[in-house]
Amino acid sequence: MNLKKYFIRALHRLQKGPGYTYKELLVWYCDNTNTHGPKRIIKEGPKKKFIWFFLTLLFASLVFWQWGILINTYLSYNVTSSLSIGFKTMKFPAVTVCNANPFKYSEVKHLLKDLDRLIEAALERILQPTPGNSSENVYPPLNMELWHQIPLVLIDEHDKDNPNILDIFESNQPAVGNQTVEGNGTTEEKKYKLAVKLCSHQGSDNCTYRNFSSAAQAVSEWYVLQFTSILAKVPLQDRIRMGYQAEDMILACLYGAEPCNYKNFTQIYHPDHGNCYIFNWGMDEEALNSSNPGAEFGLKLILDISQQDYIPYLSSAAGARLMLHQQKSFPFLKDQGIYAMAGTETSIGVLVDELERMGYPYSDCTVNGSDVPVKNLYSQYNTSYSIQACLRSCFQNHMIETCGCGHYMFPLPEGVNYCNNEDNPGWAYCYSSLRSSIRDRQICIDSCKETCNDTQYKMTISMADWPSEASEDWIFHILSYERDMSTNVTLDRNGIIKLNIYFQEYNYRTISESAATTIVWLLSNLGGQFGFWMGGSVLCLIEFGEIIIDSLWITVIHVISWCKGLKQKRAQVRYPDAPPTVSELVEAHTNLGFQPEDAGTLPRDEALPPEPGTPPPNYDSLRVQPLDVLGPDSDAE
Amino acid sequence: AAMAPGKKITARIKRTLPVRGPQAPTLSELMRWYCLNTNTHGCRRIVVSRGRLRRFIWILLTLSAVGLILWQCAELLINYYSASVSVTVQFQKLPFPAVTICNINPYKYSAMKDYLSELDKETKKALETFYGFSEGKSKVRRSVDEWNSTASDFFKQIPLLHFEDFSRTATDLRSGRKRKIEGSVFHKDSSIVNSGDSSDIIGFQLCDANNSSECALYTFSSGVNAIQEWYKLHYMNIMAQIPLETKEKLSYSADDLLLTCFFDGLSCDKRHFTRFHHPLHGNCYTFNSGESGTVLSTSTAGSEYGLQVVLYIDEADYNPFLVTSTGAKIIVHDQNEYPFIEDIGTEIETAAATSIGMHFTRSCKLSKPYSDCTETGADIPVENLYNKSYSLQICLHSCFQKAMVDSCGCAQYAQPLPAGAEYCNYKKNPNWMYCYYKLHEKFVKEQLGCQQICKDACSFKEWALTTSIAQWPSAVSEDWMLRVLSWDKGQKINKKLNKTDLANLMVFYKDLNERFISENPANTLVTLLSNFGGQLGLWMSCSVVCVIEIVEVFFIDSLSIVMRRQWQKAKKWWNNRKRDRSGNPAQASDPESQGHDNPACIDEDLPTFNTALRLPLPQGSPLPRTPPPNYSTLRLEAAFTEQLPDTLEVGQH
Repeated sequence: MNLKKYFIRALHRLQKGPGYTYKELLVWYCDNTNTHGPKRIIKEGPKKKFIWFFLTLLFASLVFWQWGILINTYLSYNVTSSLSIGFKTMKFPAVTVCNANPFKYSEVKHLLKDLDRLIEAALERILQPTPGNSSENVYPPLNMELWHQIPLVLIDEHDKDNPNILDIFESNQPAVGNQTVEGNGTTEEKKYKLAVKLCSHQGSDNCTYRNFSSAAQAVSEWYVLQFTSILAKVPLQDRIRMGYQAEDMILACLYGAEPCNYKNFTQIYHPDHGNCYIFNWGMDEEALNSSNPGAEFGLKLILDISQQDYIPYLSSAAGARLMLHQQKSFPFLKDQGIYAMAGTETSIGVLVDELERMGYPYSDCTVNGSDVPVKNLYSQYNTSYSIQACLRSCFQNHMIETCGCGHYMFPLPEGVNYCNNEDNPGWAYCYSSLRSSIRDRQICIDSCKETCNDTQYKMTISMADWPSEASEDWIFHILSYERDMSTNVTLDRNGIIKLNIYFQEYNYRTISESAATTIVWLLSNLGGQFGFWMGGSVLCLIEFGEIIIDSLWITVIHVISWCKGLKQKRAQVRYPDAPPTVSELVEAHTNLGFQPEDAGTLPRDEALPPEPGTPPPNYDSLRVQPLDVLGPDSDAE
Repeated sequence: AAMAPGKKITARIKRTLPVRGPQAPTLSELMRWYCLNTNTHGCRRIVVSRGRLRRFIWILLTLSAVGLILWQCAELLINYYSASVSVTVQFQKLPFPAVTICNINPYKYSAMKDYLSELDKETKKALETFYGFSEGKSKVRRSVDEWNSTASDFFKQIPLLHFEDFSRTATDLRSGRKRKIEGSVFHKDSSIVNSGDSSDIIGFQLCDANNSSECALYTFSSGVNAIQEWYKLHYMNIMAQIPLETKEKLSYSADDLLLTCFFDGLSCDKRHFTRFHHPLHGNCYTFNSGESGTVLSTSTAGSEYGLQVVLYIDEADYNPFLVTSTGAKIIVHDQNEYPFIEDIGTEIETAAATSIGMHFTRSCKLSKPYSDCTETGADIPVENLYNKSYSLQICLHSCFQKAMVDSCGCAQYAQPLPAGAEYCNYKKNPNWMYCYYKLHEKFVKEQLGCQQICKDACSFKEWALTTSIAQWPSAVSEDWMLRVLSWDKGQKINKKLNKTDLANLMVFYKDLNERFISENPANTLVTLLSNFGGQLGLWMSCSVVCVIEIVEVFFIDSLSIVMRRQWQKAKKWWNNRKRDRSGNPAQASDPESQGHDNPACIDEDLPTFNTALRLPLPQGSPLPRTPPPNYSTLRLEAAFTEQLPDTLEVGQH
């Protein structure tokens, strides 16, 4: 019903025509608006009027320009950072300790027997290729199959343009030549290089030679390739058994004033370092808090790395590998780990360096990695997302796609096997080309995102000799007794490591981000600008909108009346006379000369003079708005 | 009326462009008008309010609002040049920094024998005579006469002295003679604490060569420091005379120093290193110096993908007096930066694998007016002697070197040469050591003004290093490792390398997160203006328009009113004088018009029905008609009660 009423009213208004002209509307607006400029345009004299008109325009354009800048600033989503430093009770970091050597040599010897004999013989050939030495071959026959899968070759570079490739085991002659050159004691440049020959298939011609400037590097790289191929076939249970056991490795543990032992550590199998042990990982139990700074309240460990049981060709550096990381995150020791040297006490003061960032749209980071298009293979460890995990998963996925098998150093998705020489003869070639491919790396970098909360542990590392010469004796005795129940010393300086990990006096530095521009900021600045230049507010905008609607109305009404006018003009064609104007109509109505027909019978003279009566009141209230009377004709003006 | 054409024109201009002064006759009227019509709030209340107390409160409130606005806007202005810090972390391919590696020992001792044999002989003898031990059994202690007869220039130049106590007598280490000491005493070690044990104090005397009475005495608590310092002075003297090419030959070559090199999973060799001669460390080698035009970058973090080198440190060929520690020094720096290896180098141990994890941070500060830093160093009045980009360290060293050249006439050996200068040596500049020590003293005490001139750079790159050490080679791999490395070195197989001659170094990125700390202006002009607007609007609903109003009313209008008053007064006075003379009273009074007759009451009303229709009045209206109401309320109020004659002037014309 209301709607109908409304439409009727609208129709009436349309029929009646506009109440005002544009000019009136504008003048009314200027007079009554709350913005400061327009009023002046109306009120002042002509010169000032012009100045004020110009000023108002200028201010209005200034306002719009500045608004544009503000909105742009808001949409760029800037952040401000705040930094806080101090000491507070914090979760003690998870501490991962590993041995630099993955397996006990005594346990893996049966697997590596062939490989070691091979490398020894090869080194013998390279280093001492005297005919006498090579003839007295006391070794049992070598397993040449391993050799043929990935051979080491010597590259003779006497002729720079045409390097000669020599297989170490096939001919002695070139090697002898080598010896004579060096035997002369000449200082000329070394002419032989060791390289690893990698072929896409055994016996195929599609081969590359990985050159090494140093034989030591070549031997280690070659050994690692062969070693991973052998270990890839060993089931996980066996690999864990071959590694260092917690009770052998962790000799003593003290956290604050509380004693702890190897049972407080969580075992995890790490492909680089074998069995690693994580203290305070927070997987099953609550993470430990530390509320005091200083070495007295930190973690103290004594480790045994039993250096005599190292695999000789695999890892040349000896020590413990350790890393501090967040609870429930996977330790990437190759990236973030540090070494601890045998025979020393290493003290590590920790500062937790946190960076808390805002997510989308402020920065391109991920909260839990769910929006990253790479399948996280480390989720099988129940660990949280990290960029390292993403990059490694990405590489492993590429490896599986191109080579058909997974690399031993990274976790496997279901249904895929690790690469080994028997099943995947070309894997080393495939792996090495993939590894050096910059394009593949860039793909992984582009698809992985960093986490929004980045925690780093800044370490202040210091070292001292331990145990001291005076205390050496009793410490070794006690530790040997506790570990092996023997009264003899079974440990030595080369295997024993002491670690102190504690919070520094200032243990946290947090950089947290907050949005530099919020919607409140935007609004208050918009208001500030509008207010500053023109004293306006949102209501003024509404006023302005109202005026626009009004002028639209006027236009609509004008158009309609113009159309009506057209129609009438067409209708006029039938009547030659112009339509009576309002005044004519009114005159016609009030013409005193007009007499009714019947009155004409009365004689004019007899007509009575008009009786005196109350004159019509001269009140303004009777006044009729001329516009309303004139109606549609007003547009003729 | 006949008017002059000029007058006509002015009249016309006046008519078409009427210039009106302020409409108020007096200042108080103007204020009243302003308060009623201004756009700011508060002012109106003062005028409109009734009652003195209320008015007073409103005046107080308005004034305090004005005060608050002024205060807050001043705060805003003061805080305009403040910066906010933002930290961004970006995960990306990172450029690998330049890594400069030096042997701690600058020159091969065996090669330096020709230059240093005299000095070493003297030093050994000094040790022998004073401390009573001899190095090696073959050396027979010579008689004092023979000892005196040898060319002991070194001791003549700078005598080593042993102090009995502070009684200013000292024993000459060479002759054993006692001598009186004059001059001021400088302690290189702050060893004043153990002055009770004064028999241990040893030092040397530096005298002004031109004026031997002016001497400075440098004392050390330990003979170790004294001998080293003394040796170093002579050593620099000798080295300053050797040309650069010879020195480069005397030092280690890339083949000598680098045994193996491995970067990003690929083999590298000496071609990837650039030689750089450091005056105190001999030949240093910079990996990835960017001189070939390309800078290597890392796209995978971790120790396997960084730089791995095995260094050959020939410990047997070390200079026994110059350096007392063994190993190498490395520094990680940007390609454009000069490696100040003696200042901020990291030492590398032998027989160990040193793993250095890096974390990259880039910082950028805002320069003037936010903070006092320099972008390029071009605005620092110190010439950059190093061929690298500006840093504070470079500026300080250059500044010192310049002061050295100015006051001592020669350049210090450890820093690059300015144009036209040469290094100090005792033959040409016998006075330089004394001069150098004096100047250095001044420099440390900030009397040279270098610390004031030099500013820090606005942007810098920093690699935070985490260093850890492992035993290398391990006990079981030692054998084959040394054998293979010996083969690599191309030496005779039977001469195996010793593991204490080797150092393994790994430099790698811990992660590829680049932290970028930058300062941004906390305020821009836009936000400053909006804050102004906010303040103005909050307290008084004011805007720039109001400010213009205030300027208009309080300055222009008020001034013109005052001026007009004065003008009128002067005119009146003039007229009075004229009238007094002529005795012609000119009294013109405006008749007060009231009510209906008020001329101001122009019927601007829209036509009434009757007037519009021009109805004829009823004929013959003998009856008295109601007169139109004589209401004063209908009178249109003029803006001001009193119209001034000159404001109405225009209308009269």
